[in-house]
Amino acid sequence: MRTISLKPINDTMVWDQCRGKIFSKKGGWKIGSGVFSHGYSMMDDLVGEVSYTQVQILNAVGTLPEKRVADWIEAVCICLSWPDPRIWCNQIGALGGTARTSVVAATVSGVLAADSTMYGSRPLLKGVEFIQKALKQKQSLSISAEEIVQRVAKKNRGKATIVGYARPIASGDERVVAMERVTNQLGFEIGEHLHLAYEINEILTRDHRESININGYVSAFLSDQGYSADQIYNIGCICVSSGVTACYVDAADRVAGSFLPLRCDDVDYQGKPPRTVPDNKLC
Amino acid sequence: MTSKTFSSKVHKRDDVYATQTTTRIWQELPSPDNPYITSKSRCHGYDLMDLMQKRSFVDVLYLLFRGELPSRDEAKLLEALMIAFINPGPRHPATRSAMNAGVGKTDSSLILPIALSTMSGSYNGAGALEEAMRFLRKHQHKPATEVTANLFSVTDRPEEGDWHVAPGFGSSYNGIDSMSSQIAERLLNMEAAGSALLWGQHFANSLSEDGMGWLPSGVVAAVLTDLGFQPRAAVGLYQIISAPGLLAHGVELANKSITAMPFIADEDYIIETD
Repeated sequence: MRTISLKPINDTMVWDQCRGKIFSKKGGWKIGSGVFSHGYSMMDDLVGEVSYTQVQILNAVGTLPEKRVADWIEAVCICLSWPDPRIWCNQIGALGGTARTSVVAATVSGVLAADSTMYGSRPLLKGVEFIQKALKQKQSLSISAEEIVQRVAKKNRGKATIVGYARPIASGDERVVAMERVTNQLGFEIGEHLHLAYEINEILTRDHRESININGYVSAFLSDQGYSADQIYNIGCICVSSGVTACYVDAADRVAGSFLPLRCDDVDYQGKPPRTVPDNKLC
Repeated sequence: MTSKTFSSKVHKRDDVYATQTTTRIWQELPSPDNPYITSKSRCHGYDLMDLMQKRSFVDVLYLLFRGELPSRDEAKLLEALMIAFINPGPRHPATRSAMNAGVGKTDSSLILPIALSTMSGSYNGAGALEEAMRFLRKHQHKPATEVTANLFSVTDRPEEGDWHVAPGFGSSYNGIDSMSSQIAERLLNMEAAGSALLWGQHFANSLSEDGMGWLPSGVVAAVLTDLGFQPRAAVGLYQIISAPGLLAHGVELANKSITAMPFIADEDYIIETD
């Protein structure tokens, strides 16, 4: 509901207080004193003491995770960084290579492409939202996984379309099996979110011929570790980068312009036939 | 009963993929001697050479997205919009990204993509355009005052910062954005101004008592709605419109020393602890 502002129109105090100053809850470089991240002296407490992935998570989330959580997330990044240029973000890396961009331009472009609603990092937002909401429903309303799936299907004309439980190009996901192995190797227990994900997977496999994908597994596992959807999205924001770089390098090492070259007639023009331009110059 | 391992079976779906990329926009005819070399290009059926000779840049921009050439009035409205928002200005985060890239000696070819990435933001950037156009399309046939009353009944004023009560509309530094209001008023007087721009003006007026009005993204959204552009295209069009200003500011700093821009002093860099 609208609340009457206690501040008059054109009160600029909030911006005036920030002019010429930077406030940070994260840390920074105190020149001559050291570099700090969330209270840690980076050169003394972190370099050589923890892994890069631990620091990456620290910077994204604000707390230093235990090593095995970082190792788990690092393993997921391997799952999401394939050197196959048929994958959309990787193809952008390869196109950068064939067009002779810098490796950074190509890799970052690929990372941007993976900020997609279909694949890459962004679907984690919805994947986490789904499993966390589903668990709350299960606990507070005492409904089963079967009913959770039925509710989704009812909203989608019978189709149980759930982010994290289908995948473009193929059904099934070998990455989930690999991450299951990592979960066991690192000694993690199956938490409530992941337990529910197993139940939902079983129903979808049985009734809808779909199964959990890496998004669904990551969403459930990291929810069990206490992370929110935004935190997981922040942690995973560059997860495809290594695969994009690989595809860039492969194309950059070959003849310029030779990655999937197209002849004029390789593009099927289906538009208007030739016509005369009416003369209507503005000035 | 729940199994504790997932199936490792992976099957390729039987999706049928296109054998060729198709387009209705652009046709490239091959040279008789080399099938990779284009001898003639057509945009929606018009020969590129003829377009160069007979039409303006704005006409061809419109043609690319709409599939037909604009009328004289439509082209005038689009050109006026492109001039109005050619530069987000040196204080806009996207411009400052360009400046940072420039003064930081980033490769010149990357200044614009960097700035346009920042311009993709939903706060005073192109990221708000799609939603703003959908808002205008949905509400422009309702009384503006009624829409305002409904929004006020369901939306909270934030405790701090600006209130963007609807996509493309709200406060700017807790006041009414004067430039956007002036630009909207000027555009409204043009022949091709349509119902979205007119409704937006009524809506902005209904917000003025609460210190809100047009935002740049609202004005751009209204004009592009009136000109018939699709919301998905509008996001990128706003980036195209702002690109010249972003690039100019980045390049302006590219050959200057790093001392040409402020570096916040340690005493003004405040690390907050919980």
